[in-house]
Amino acid sequence: MLRLENVGLKYGDGPEILRDVSFSVRPGDFYFLTGPSGAGKSSLLKLLFLALRPTRGKLHIFGEDVGGLSHSKLPAIRRRIGVVFQEFRLLDHLSTYDNVALPLRVAGRAESSYRLDVMDLLDWVGLAHKSSDLPPVLSGGEKQRAAIARAVIAKPQLLLADEPTGNVDPLLAKRLLHLFLELNRLGTTMLIATHDKGLVRQAERPVLHLEQGALNLQ
Amino acid sequence: MRPGAIIPATAASLTSLTVTMAVMCYLACLAIGALILVDRAVTSWTSGLSREMTVQVRVVRDADIAQEVEKARAVTAAFPGIIEVDILDEKAGEKLLEPWLGTRSLAGLPVPRLIRVVTDTENPPDVTALGQALSQVKGATLDTHQKWESELTRMARALSAVSYAILLLISVSAIAIVIFATRAVLQANRHIVDLLHLVGARDSYIARQIDGRFLRTGLLSGFIGVGLGLFTFLLLGLFGGGSESGVAAASRGLLFSTPSIAIWSYGLLFAVPIAATLICLITARVTLIRRLGVIT
Repeated sequence: MLRLENVGLKYGDGPEILRDVSFSVRPGDFYFLTGPSGAGKSSLLKLLFLALRPTRGKLHIFGEDVGGLSHSKLPAIRRRIGVVFQEFRLLDHLSTYDNVALPLRVAGRAESSYRLDVMDLLDWVGLAHKSSDLPPVLSGGEKQRAAIARAVIAKPQLLLADEPTGNVDPLLAKRLLHLFLELNRLGTTMLIATHDKGLVRQAERPVLHLEQGALNLQ
Repeated sequence: MRPGAIIPATAASLTSLTVTMAVMCYLACLAIGALILVDRAVTSWTSGLSREMTVQVRVVRDADIAQEVEKARAVTAAFPGIIEVDILDEKAGEKLLEPWLGTRSLAGLPVPRLIRVVTDTENPPDVTALGQALSQVKGATLDTHQKWESELTRMARALSAVSYAILLLISVSAIAIVIFATRAVLQANRHIVDLLHLVGARDSYIARQIDGRFLRTGLLSGFIGVGLGLFTFLLLGLFGGGSESGVAAASRGLLFSTPSIAIWSYGLLFAVPIAATLICLITARVTLIRRLGVIT
């Protein structure tokens, strides 16, 4: 599903943020991505959700070589990937419901076809009563849950999450972990970047540790 | 539950574009109005001129002008393609000279005599042969008005070319303004565009979220421009320098002419909102697709 071979990344003429990163992820795998702040976790995730392209090395996603991928082929691959952004990236002018439904809407689905799915998911993450609220009135934890709901609503094959439990209390963090494990059990491949050692311990899944741009499997 | 607009109308308002495009459309209406008026005036003048010719008989020594005039009339009237031959009397000739010589009597002056000739437009006469036939008459020359007609046509063509050039410049300026506005909207909504890309939106989907606003802007500004243009012609028709004024009469002619002409005039004027809408829509769509293609 994911294969990186000696991937390097740098911004402009700056130093390399990622150096010779090599690993592969098979369908159904569940990995945590850990490392100190500034180690390059977010940059690595940006490569994987195709917001950036590697400056060297090979990156294959769903069997496609990202280096030679045309712009027109990106949407089809991105629709197979769900992303939970660290800064949520909810649209402030859309309701929580519309934010969560966004991936289905851009895929061309009619609102009547996804209404129940979205409301069920909002109910599951405890936001059903906030479905009409705009993101600016949501708390940090609520925004986090809305962002997670948006990432999983289209049942992606690969879920990438950047600090998905960073703004929630331990109880909700545990519930979210159960959601991730359940999605993984149903076939979604997971890669979760986190600082939360408790979360990693509870899940008992392999860890990719990134330090000073280099990656090790722990 | 109706989904909210993905690109909010409040981000990067298109009010300035609407005002600018309305002004462009107003100028386009004036240029089209001028084009219609010039075309109509030239058609009217040239059809009058081409239907008529003038035979001029100058006073020649040792010749009786009355006899020569009568001879010229007979030669002309006998020619095929001539419908009417009308000798203008001396008073009519003097009246034509009034603007230059005043109202005093011209008795004693060798004032040429004129014969008005009306031709059959369906079966026009051979003017060269007529000119040769008239050379037998002392002092007679044939004026076909071709010189005036060609002068008028040349002037009209120049005015039409200027009007077309103005329309072209307006269109190019409008395209440039729409490109600038599209980029501004895209830049103001960059965070939304980036997110839409990341959740799998195609460029065409994102463009559709934006270009609808440009369609409405084009249509609205087009109708405002045409409305202002028609109002201007109405004001010129009512207060453009009295009923005898050329501008006032021409403006009234543009607004209140016969149905067949009015349909053509109003059709051209109402092509402005359609053109404005197409310029806004196509330019915005092409700009969006090109810009979105370089945003990953």
